[in-house]
Amino acid sequence: MNERTIGDRRVALQNYIKLYLILIRTSVRSRMQYRFNFAFGTVLAAIIQLSEFLMIAIVLAKFGAVRGWTMHEVGYLFAVMTLAKTLYRTFGNEVHNLERYLVEGELDQLLTKPLPVLLSLMPRGFRLMPGELLQGGAILAWALGEMLRTGQVTWWAIPQTLFAIVTGGVVLFAIGMATATCGFWTTRISMLQNMTEDAAQTAARYPLTLYPGWMSGLLLTAVPVGLVGYVPALYILRGELGLWVFPVLAAASCLAVLLALRFWKFGISKYQSTGS
Amino acid sequence: MEMMTSRDMPTVQAEREAAIEAVGLCKSFKTPVVAQGRFSGIRSLFSREYTTKEAVRDIGFTVEKGDFVGYIGPNGAGKSTTIKMLTGILHPSSGSVKLAGIDPHRDRLRCASRLGVVFGQRSQLWWDLPVKDSYDILAHMYGVDDADKVRRLGEFAELLDLDEFWDTPVRKLSLGQRMRADIAAAMLHDPELLFLDEPTIGLDVNAKRNIRGFLKVLNEEFGKTILLTTHDMDDIEQLCRRVMVIGGGRLTYDGTVEGLRREIGLPTEIKVTYRAGYVLAGQGDDLIVSGDMQTGAHVQPNQESDLHAADSSFAMRIVSRTESTLTVEVNREEVRTMDALRELGHWGEIEDVEMREPDFEEIIRRVYG
Repeated sequence: MNERTIGDRRVALQNYIKLYLILIRTSVRSRMQYRFNFAFGTVLAAIIQLSEFLMIAIVLAKFGAVRGWTMHEVGYLFAVMTLAKTLYRTFGNEVHNLERYLVEGELDQLLTKPLPVLLSLMPRGFRLMPGELLQGGAILAWALGEMLRTGQVTWWAIPQTLFAIVTGGVVLFAIGMATATCGFWTTRISMLQNMTEDAAQTAARYPLTLYPGWMSGLLLTAVPVGLVGYVPALYILRGELGLWVFPVLAAASCLAVLLALRFWKFGISKYQSTGS
Repeated sequence: MEMMTSRDMPTVQAEREAAIEAVGLCKSFKTPVVAQGRFSGIRSLFSREYTTKEAVRDIGFTVEKGDFVGYIGPNGAGKSTTIKMLTGILHPSSGSVKLAGIDPHRDRLRCASRLGVVFGQRSQLWWDLPVKDSYDILAHMYGVDDADKVRRLGEFAELLDLDEFWDTPVRKLSLGQRMRADIAAAMLHDPELLFLDEPTIGLDVNAKRNIRGFLKVLNEEFGKTILLTTHDMDDIEQLCRRVMVIGGGRLTYDGTVEGLRREIGLPTEIKVTYRAGYVLAGQGDDLIVSGDMQTGAHVQPNQESDLHAADSSFAMRIVSRTESTLTVEVNREEVRTMDALRELGHWGEIEDVEMREPDFEEIIRRVYG
């Protein structure tokens, strides 16, 4: 593998991208075999998202500002987290669902294919999440709209926010992948996911100043969910830090994915499969 | 994928490589001890306590190109674990595997494109899509061009009768159809080496015959190297030139099918019904009468020996008897079935004869005692 030339790599990459698209199409077509389930699931997700939004709306309406953060700023954090998570789950949902493959030994089939496991795995769980997208988008529009009106932010905030959502999605994917990798040793990972994914994401929907120092430290380093909404918001909304935030976010998300990938590769060599 | 084959080793060297070379393969599984009581989930996660199970211990063998090898052993003996190590799914705890000179663990992607793998219990086809769609996707995956795909599928369709369910979603196929479709899928990229884990499990006679026929053609006409695990002795007898037996994680036999039969002395069971009773007579030195014998029967001294690999010196022995029937085991190494029947005919007038070949699990149990 090491001596493969750059040309070979390019061809390989092109093939992989083509294959990825084919597999996504396959996965969508498979899901369309059960149209009702798809439609119902989408509607249900939208309702769940709506109720979640109502919850946070009540909290915001009641308390208004949190530790010097306005209602709209907290709404912004919430929206960026929701959209970043939607991005992660749209493409990487099957990584999140790895437990199923480990418990049922379904990973066997993927390992016999001449593709990186992630490439066979990820398209299987590809799904559009219109409910989450609408909800996150609506809250973001509401929050940014108000801040644009008051002049707190300029139109530059929009591309900057989109950038933050993408790097945020990558960070969440890296965390999800590292968590899933633990499953190669423990098989069951849902408990761990509760902490590193669900709880951490919920925590980072609020300004990290809310938490004790050690905890916000953890949320910026070990489980860096703080990089998703909080850190970019410091610059985009409040003018703290500096423009350097963006290259740092890009570098940090890349680093997170690379580390998670290394761990993942090591984890696969520890895969135990199941009896037949 | 295609582009990786461009810089393979020179063909001359590749010809000399064995199809499969396994050296000192071991696999032990560590399972964390599940904690009891409060917070057991969290505690198990961080627990350092493990139980270690050695599934495969020091297995080594070489399979030459064009060989057809049966890999047999009882459930839990380590068959699937071995196959999974050979195909790159599981990493061995120690030891190494080379498939045509390539390490399936270090170079999984390159190796995978030259392997066909079929798990009888699991399908590699896309469950909700028509069978033909799976072939399209696999062709993309393995970089098989359209002309090759059409030609190969044409051949497979004829040999495996794929046409009858071409447009059917995989989830609606019968087990036999699914297995045929799966084997065709594993061969679509024309791999040199085919691994099958219990390909005939749960199939009816026709489906088994069909699949065996196909595997025979693959091996004899296309020179494919095939290794299969099975619980069906007919698979072994009809297909394999070589058998490897695994028991308790170790290789207990590796040789020809004839050799295996010789080693166990495969007894055939014959149940004879006599029209008007029988008289036991002519029990020579080679006739062992054992089991729950009534008075009047002549009992040989070594009656207590159970059939074991080492003990295959008997010719015929009585397993059970009633007023008018007699069930005997015949050692085909020592005596031909016809001779045994003739002998039984001397004891009374035969009304009916039933013959039963020993079942496979029993043979395997005897192989490693």
